[in-house]
Amino acid sequence: MQALEVSHIIKKFGPLTALNDISFSVGEGETFGFLGPNGAGKTTTIRILTGISSPTSGTATIFGHDIEHDTIAARQSMGIVSENSNVYDDLTAWQNMIFSAQLYHVARKEREKKTEELLTIFGLHERRNDKVHGFSKGMKRRLTLAMGLVNSPRLLFLDEPTSGLDVQSNLIIRDVVTDLVREGVTVFLTTHNIEEANVMCDRVAIINKGNIAAIDSPERLKKTIQSVQSIELSFNHSSADQLDELRRLPLVNDAQKAGDKFKLYTHDPSEVIDAVMAYARTHNLKVISITTLGPSLEDVFIRLTGLQRAGGAVHAID
Amino acid sequence: MPSIDHEGLAKRLSRELSAAWAIARKDMRIYYLKPNIVVSGILFPLFMFLAFATGKNAPPGTLIPGLISITLLFSASSIEPVSIPIERRVKTFDRLLSAPISLHSLVFGESLSGFLYSLGIACLPLAVGVIVLNTPVVNLPVLVIAMILTSFCFATLGTLFASYPTENVGEVMSMLNTVRLPLIFISGVFIPISAMPQIGQKIALFSPLTYGNDMIEFAYTGKSLFSPLLDIAVLLVFILIFQLAANHLYKKFNE
Repeated sequence: MQALEVSHIIKKFGPLTALNDISFSVGEGETFGFLGPNGAGKTTTIRILTGISSPTSGTATIFGHDIEHDTIAARQSMGIVSENSNVYDDLTAWQNMIFSAQLYHVARKEREKKTEELLTIFGLHERRNDKVHGFSKGMKRRLTLAMGLVNSPRLLFLDEPTSGLDVQSNLIIRDVVTDLVREGVTVFLTTHNIEEANVMCDRVAIINKGNIAAIDSPERLKKTIQSVQSIELSFNHSSADQLDELRRLPLVNDAQKAGDKFKLYTHDPSEVIDAVMAYARTHNLKVISITTLGPSLEDVFIRLTGLQRAGGAVHAID
Repeated sequence: MPSIDHEGLAKRLSRELSAAWAIARKDMRIYYLKPNIVVSGILFPLFMFLAFATGKNAPPGTLIPGLISITLLFSASSIEPVSIPIERRVKTFDRLLSAPISLHSLVFGESLSGFLYSLGIACLPLAVGVIVLNTPVVNLPVLVIAMILTSFCFATLGTLFASYPTENVGEVMSMLNTVRLPLIFISGVFIPISAMPQIGQKIALFSPLTYGNDMIEFAYTGKSLFSPLLDIAVLLVFILIFQLAANHLYKKFNE
């Protein structure tokens, strides 16, 4: 049985079609990434899959339970970790956990045991009796994830799990998710961090303007755009003009600067390496490091969603 | 003939009630002492009452039924119009909407906190009447039933108004007050319904406060406009209408 099966879902808001006949399935135990630019239809999809809103047409099932007609049974097997750390600031960490367990009908003894266990795993046990309004952003995020796991879900919806977090929280969350995947929990991950999706997901779907643009494993998706390759290099000195000068080198389609490194996009890396060496000699620079890279998942994402790079950042064309 | 799974039904009902109670307890912990709820649920009805009672040449004890009625109206309908917009803003309301519970249980749980708050607050004028003003209650069971039904009716009304999809408490309160304030004038709280003009008497029939106040008057004086049984039946119909309407609107506005 598939953990999640989405079949021909259309969602319209008046004249606007937010989701245009999307279909995909997620196998049990799979980690599935759902990527797309803002306004692509990610949130609408999640609201439908969690039963908050209904599709205009089409169906979605969670472990065989139709989310629209058998909503409660479908929700019982899922955990939802929203992008916003939606915890109750005026309750303690313990009260938040118990409340979440009560909503998911976890038996009294089990909910206390599970709460103890999860607060310990997420490094919050010592603060369990403190009201949440004194917690840091990372602590609130960890508590949100702990609340999403209190009913031992078979399918976990993770919305931007590590966005803007401190290193400690980031590591704890990634470790926990890795353990969950090892235990066979299905994870539906939406993230803006494409590298995170690349590392964590078995497959990713890229949604754009309400349509699924591609679904495949990260590696297979990268192979579809082998023509986009890049060279990453650094010089012993850097100056403000270098990025523009490198961008003007022959066969360089685009250039970005990240820290002390430049990334040059090209169809022909060997020609560009020669050009870079010539540029270094002319400007009396030493090349400290140079690496040829294949296309990244971010490149695939940009290609499929029609976004474009500008000055190292990604901007929507429309 | 299809068989009914009574055990499954009982288990489901027990789970739903337990989740509704959890929602009510959460609201009690978080919102009961919020300043805008204290102002809207306690101080507002008290000052409204004093404004109208002062200058009335009547023994103070006779004003207690009216004070209980408007306390029930304002305090019961004050929790959800504050808590739900706040929870929409901080996105905790999504947590409730996506939980494995029915919308009926969500609406019921939200109303339950307003109901209990209101019952507690209404005990204050009741106690003042009995202890300070020596105003006896002649029919305690009717008073208890009246307070329970009136309180639950207005708590559900508050939950219904809070379905309006806004994150702004003021917007919901403004809409609610356009209904709550006229109710106290047309429901026999300050002016007996029999003393109102014909049109006023007809409008009073559409106010749930008319029936709640009528029962409370009966409990104190033994006299009422309608039979207490009719008052109970009409209040139950209002509760059902508000609950179904709230259920429909929460579903509609979350699309």
